[in-house]
Amino acid sequence: MIEIFGWIEQTPLSIWVREDLSAFFYILIVHAIGMALLVGGGVAVCLGMLGMPSDAPLHKLRGFFPVMQIGLVLAVISGFGLLIGYPAKALTNPVFAVKFAFLIAAGAVMWRMQLGLFPLSERGEVLPGWRRPAAIAALGLWAGGVIAGKFLPYTHHLLMVS
Amino acid sequence: MKPDPIFNIPAIEQWGVDTGIFGWMNSQWGWPISEAIHFLGLCMLMASVGMFDLRVLGVARGVPMEWLHRMAPIGVIGWLMAVATGFCFVVSAPSQYLHNPAFQSKMALMALAGVNMVVFYVIGASAAVRAAGPDDKAALWIKVFAFVSLAAWIGVITCGRVITYFRPPYFWCLWC
Repeated sequence: MIEIFGWIEQTPLSIWVREDLSAFFYILIVHAIGMALLVGGGVAVCLGMLGMPSDAPLHKLRGFFPVMQIGLVLAVISGFGLLIGYPAKALTNPVFAVKFAFLIAAGAVMWRMQLGLFPLSERGEVLPGWRRPAAIAALGLWAGGVIAGKFLPYTHHLLMVS
Repeated sequence: MKPDPIFNIPAIEQWGVDTGIFGWMNSQWGWPISEAIHFLGLCMLMASVGMFDLRVLGVARGVPMEWLHRMAPIGVIGWLMAVATGFCFVVSAPSQYLHNPAFQSKMALMALAGVNMVVFYVIGASAAVRAAGPDDKAALWIKVFAFVSLAAWIGVITCGRVITYFRPPYFWCLWC
C-alpha cells in the first residue's frame, strides 16, 4: 500500500497540490467553506428536530438539504484534492477514518430522520419520541467529524513528502 | 521598522505566558482542541446566522424567517466560542496574527458583519422579518443585509484559513 501512496505522491497532480502554494490555499478554503455549509446546515436541521425554537415546521427544514448538498460536494472535491496531495499522511492516520466514520454516520442519521419524520410532520401527525435522541446523536456526530478533522494535522505519523 | 503604537507584542506575549494561555496552547493538544472549538463555533454561527441569511435570500422557502431569527442565541454562543479560542491563538503568537494581512482582513470582515447586524436591528429590519409569513419573500433591502452578512462570514472563514498558512514576508502594519 505504501508503494501505491508513493506512486500517487509522484503524480503531477499530487505535486501541484503540494508545491503550488495558491492551489493548496484554495483547496483548504473551499474545504472549510464546504464543511461549514454541510455542518451548519446539519446543525440547523438537528436544532429544528430538537424543537429549538418550538413549533418549527419540521418538514420545511428539507429546504436546507440543498445547502448541505452543496457543502458536501465542495468538501468532498476539496478533500479529494487534499488527499491526492498527501495520501500516505492521511490514509495511515486512524483519525482520518474516525472523521469519515463520524460524518458518514451523521449523514445516515439525518437521512433516517428525514425519511421517518418529515412525512409525519407534513401530514400533521404526532412525531415519535426517537426524534430527539436521533437529533442529539446527529449533533454529536457532526461535532465529532469536525473535531477529528481538526486533529488530522497533529496526529499523522507517516509523512513521505513535504 | 517603526514600532507598533497600538499593540505591544512582547507585553502581549508575556501576558500570555503569565496567564497560562501560552502554556496551554503549546501543550500537546492545546492548539488542536482550540482549533476544533473555534471551527465548531463557526459552524454554529453558520447554522443560525448563515441559514437565516440564506432563507432571507430565498433558500428554503417555507421555513419561517422568524423561526430562524429566534435561533440567534445559538449563533451568539458559537461566536463566543470562536472569539474566546481566537483570543488564545492571538495571545499565543501575537506577531503572527496582528501583523498578518489575513488576520487584519478577518477582523475587518467581523466588524462589517457586526455593524451590518446592528444596523439591521436599528432600522427595524428584524421587525419586518418577524412579521413575514413562512412562504413570504424578503424585501430587497432586507436581502442586502443578508447578502452582506453571509459574504462577510464566508470571508471570515476564508481569511481564517489563509492566516494559518500565510506569513507576510515583512512587517505588515497598516497603523504603524
